[in-house]
Amino acid sequence: MIVPPDGLVLGGIAPALTLLVAAATALILGTVRADARQGGAVALLGLAAAAVFAVRNLVDPGAHGATFGVQWVVDGASAGLAVAILVGTFLAVLLSWDAPVARVGDRPEFHPLLLLAATGGIAMVHAGDFVVLLLGLEILSLSVYALSAWRTGVREGEEAGMKYFLLGAFASAILIYGVALTYGATGAFDFASIGAALAAGAPGPLALLGGAFVLVGLGFKVSFAPFHQWAPDVYTGAPTPVTAFMSVVVKVAAFGALLRVASEAWPATVPSLDLMLAILVALTLVVGNLGALLQSGAKRMLGYSAVAHAGYLGLAVLAAGQGLASPTTVVWYLLAYTFMNLGAFAVTHLVMHDDPQGDRIEAWQGLGARKPGLAIAMTLFLFSLAGFPPLAGFFGKALAVRAAFDAGWSSLAVLALLAAVVAVVYYTRFVFAMWFARAPRAIEVAPSDAARWAVGLAAAGTVAMGLFPDVWYALVEGAGAALALVP
Amino acid sequence: MTLWMLVLPLLGAAAAAFAPGRLAVVGAVASAVATFATSAFLAGSGALSVAWLPALGIDVTLDPFGVRSVLVTTAALTMVPVVLTAARRPVDERRRYLTALLLMHTTLNGVFLATDLVLMYVFWEATLLPSLFLLGTFGGRGRRGAVTKYLVYAITGSFLMLASILAIVPLSGAASYAFADLLPAARALDPVVQTWLFAGFAAAFAVKLPLFPLHAWLIDFHRENPASGVADVAGTLYKVGGFGFFAWAIPLLPDGAAAFQPILLPLAAATALWGGLAATRQEDLKSMLAYMSLSHMGVVALGVFSLTPLGGSGAMFLLAAQMLSTGALFLIAGMLHERTGGFDFARYGGLAKGAPALAAVTLFALFAAIGVPGLSNFPGEFLALAGGFAASPWLGGVAALGSVVAAGVYGVNTYQRLYQGPPGERRADLRASEVLVVAPLIAGILWLGLAPAPQLERIDASAQIATTAAVDPTAVPPHAADAAEGPERSPASTALAAKGGER
Repeated sequence: MIVPPDGLVLGGIAPALTLLVAAATALILGTVRADARQGGAVALLGLAAAAVFAVRNLVDPGAHGATFGVQWVVDGASAGLAVAILVGTFLAVLLSWDAPVARVGDRPEFHPLLLLAATGGIAMVHAGDFVVLLLGLEILSLSVYALSAWRTGVREGEEAGMKYFLLGAFASAILIYGVALTYGATGAFDFASIGAALAAGAPGPLALLGGAFVLVGLGFKVSFAPFHQWAPDVYTGAPTPVTAFMSVVVKVAAFGALLRVASEAWPATVPSLDLMLAILVALTLVVGNLGALLQSGAKRMLGYSAVAHAGYLGLAVLAAGQGLASPTTVVWYLLAYTFMNLGAFAVTHLVMHDDPQGDRIEAWQGLGARKPGLAIAMTLFLFSLAGFPPLAGFFGKALAVRAAFDAGWSSLAVLALLAAVVAVVYYTRFVFAMWFARAPRAIEVAPSDAARWAVGLAAAGTVAMGLFPDVWYALVEGAGAALALVP
Repeated sequence: MTLWMLVLPLLGAAAAAFAPGRLAVVGAVASAVATFATSAFLAGSGALSVAWLPALGIDVTLDPFGVRSVLVTTAALTMVPVVLTAARRPVDERRRYLTALLLMHTTLNGVFLATDLVLMYVFWEATLLPSLFLLGTFGGRGRRGAVTKYLVYAITGSFLMLASILAIVPLSGAASYAFADLLPAARALDPVVQTWLFAGFAAAFAVKLPLFPLHAWLIDFHRENPASGVADVAGTLYKVGGFGFFAWAIPLLPDGAAAFQPILLPLAAATALWGGLAATRQEDLKSMLAYMSLSHMGVVALGVFSLTPLGGSGAMFLLAAQMLSTGALFLIAGMLHERTGGFDFARYGGLAKGAPALAAVTLFALFAAIGVPGLSNFPGEFLALAGGFAASPWLGGVAALGSVVAAGVYGVNTYQRLYQGPPGERRADLRASEVLVVAPLIAGILWLGLAPAPQLERIDASAQIATTAAVDPTAVPPHAADAAEGPERSPASTALAAKGGER
């Protein structure tokens, strides 16, 4: 379809365009003078500018609507998720400011890749059809493949990159196959038309198979069990700032896409797709939480914890996708998750201090006495991830479980809370190590003020969202999170 | 006035954490005293309501109605000696002690005052953390195990409760999580649904009561807590499971409560009996106090699960009273530990010769704890047992066996083994600073024991709501103001007066 020029709303794509310009600028400047700080500064400026546009998209109703045909949707959900992606990327740039991975002089591609990944993520959450979704997904994924293998010469690093690339490519292929099958069944790429076609009559096996493949492809990206195995390995092998980045930005983008697909392309008249999603969610809650229980390293533990949180988010997506709960729940949870999870990785990065084994639980012993500030921040992040009030994670979990009850998935909701008991055990093991054990040796942490800022900002966000949950909720809900989602 | 109950201790916690030098101690003590002083004027002061997450019907609502103000005031009174004791810790520990205690006081007041169900849960959970911190940082050798046990018990219960809390609004169609909105909607729920929801609440409240056989964490908790008794008293204040049943689960879900009564009432009686019997068999003071406290909680549970206004009022009165008496005993145990370096009874004997004042104070607190008339625990224990008898004479008898007969045995035995017998090494008597610690508690014990009627009347106002039949949704309690109008005496205080007359 050819779009008339007056149907273009540039404001809608302004955040993505800004990031693209920043990425290009950083790349070109990098060829002139290889200096990681210069790339980082350009990235921070670009992100801040993009955030202005994204917030404007959120608060200004005039910016809402579908542009470029229906391929780029601006509403409360997409603009809110774009803000979460920008916040996550901003904190990740701060975190990597002094990190050795970015200081390698002859590789100025680090920050441009981060920005490109964020651009892809923003495209995914705004996608109104499968083409834009795939485009965004590939931009995001290719950048993150490269970033996760950044530590060349380190076996775990190369393994992480390779594993992520191979499995990711496989998942993309399945997703594309699913899109093709869906197109075959409905004759459309855009979500609204697909939803209308599926709702019109009983969907045939082709459409269901297509839907299932799409679910599997996106399920890989959001790390639903049983497609989660890459997550702990890649999280461990990638440099910690990159892990911090991908653990939040990839998750926000993929859940944004899944939310849109589930609520628009899968109408309520096709309950089998919801049932499939529900089974994946149940499996994810159990596998993620039990898996995390067995880990002794912080990064692997957080890797499984990311799987577990995918379960809670999946619960919210399930309910919102059926139109029985507000999509704002998903958006709210993802910003909360961005703060607390990135914060946890940020502290881990400082504590590891170049030691690849430095995230084992022994390394955390006595941190409370030696570095109380960092230990308090980490305690906040872990308690928030565990769902203790009044921190952000509590309302995230409460909103997700409430959404499940609203949608009638009572047994899933109870399962989610029982699984959360397990989660408390594995998070508090690290908290206890920090506060209740003596340090076996002096604790050295990485000397990076920028990373400390990242920790501080993430902690402030985690606390503020818990104390004032309505600020973000009302902003997203007020912007009409469901504007384009419920036809 | 209501909001100050949260602000004052929070300011104290901030002072304890950040103020330089002795100012931290002064700030902490001042905040504890000010909190108590303010709490004395709490009854009848207005409710507070601020939107928190209005889209989901979650608000910050605090209301000192009925039993809530009684518990807040008594807890605030108990907190004064606790803070004074903590202020005497070594400088390097003091700051952490005081901060944790005052944070805990803040959130505990929140538990008592919150009339929004989600807000109550937030405070409920937040109170756990300072308590864990005290045990984990300053506890004995087995503290890691005790902390983990405590945490797993508490969290399992409270997450199940969270499930019920989150489900109750979508299931009942209530407008919000506020008590007044929930009450008519939740009572209209199908009895089967009510039973499931009640089960979730019961999981959290029964663990926190604690109810036999979920009490294992309590004994470890007291055994491993630091010797000074400060953390034990804080833990005693936090035994709010009975309050949870009384103020939330039973009024909201009367059919669920009725369905569970045949299970919970025997467990309550078993708790009272088991706690009392086990207390007579303990070889060290702290374990004895832990089981004694368990026995009290059994009586509290009996009164609450009797589902009668009489039993409920008595249980809440006992809950408040035991804060003072058990609190005094734990602090005295800390003083004894300071003198002898241990808790096992073998170290003690004949202390009365050298420390007559300490002996007198201990005897006084023990008498209060075992329910001697005229002292704090008696009115509550009597009414709770009376409620229990009304619900089931057999079970009431079993509970009385534990809480009255066994209490006499362990009360007298404990005094004997500590203070009588051949005098051993001479120990110091009550010091001036310790007088300051025990004086507020003794005053409180006398206050509740000699003039229970005003408190009981306030509690009765809540008890009427808790036990009004489910069929009468019009019996929604408006506010303290309306309830206080009734000129006739409440059933509980009438019954007590009758008992007094018989004596």
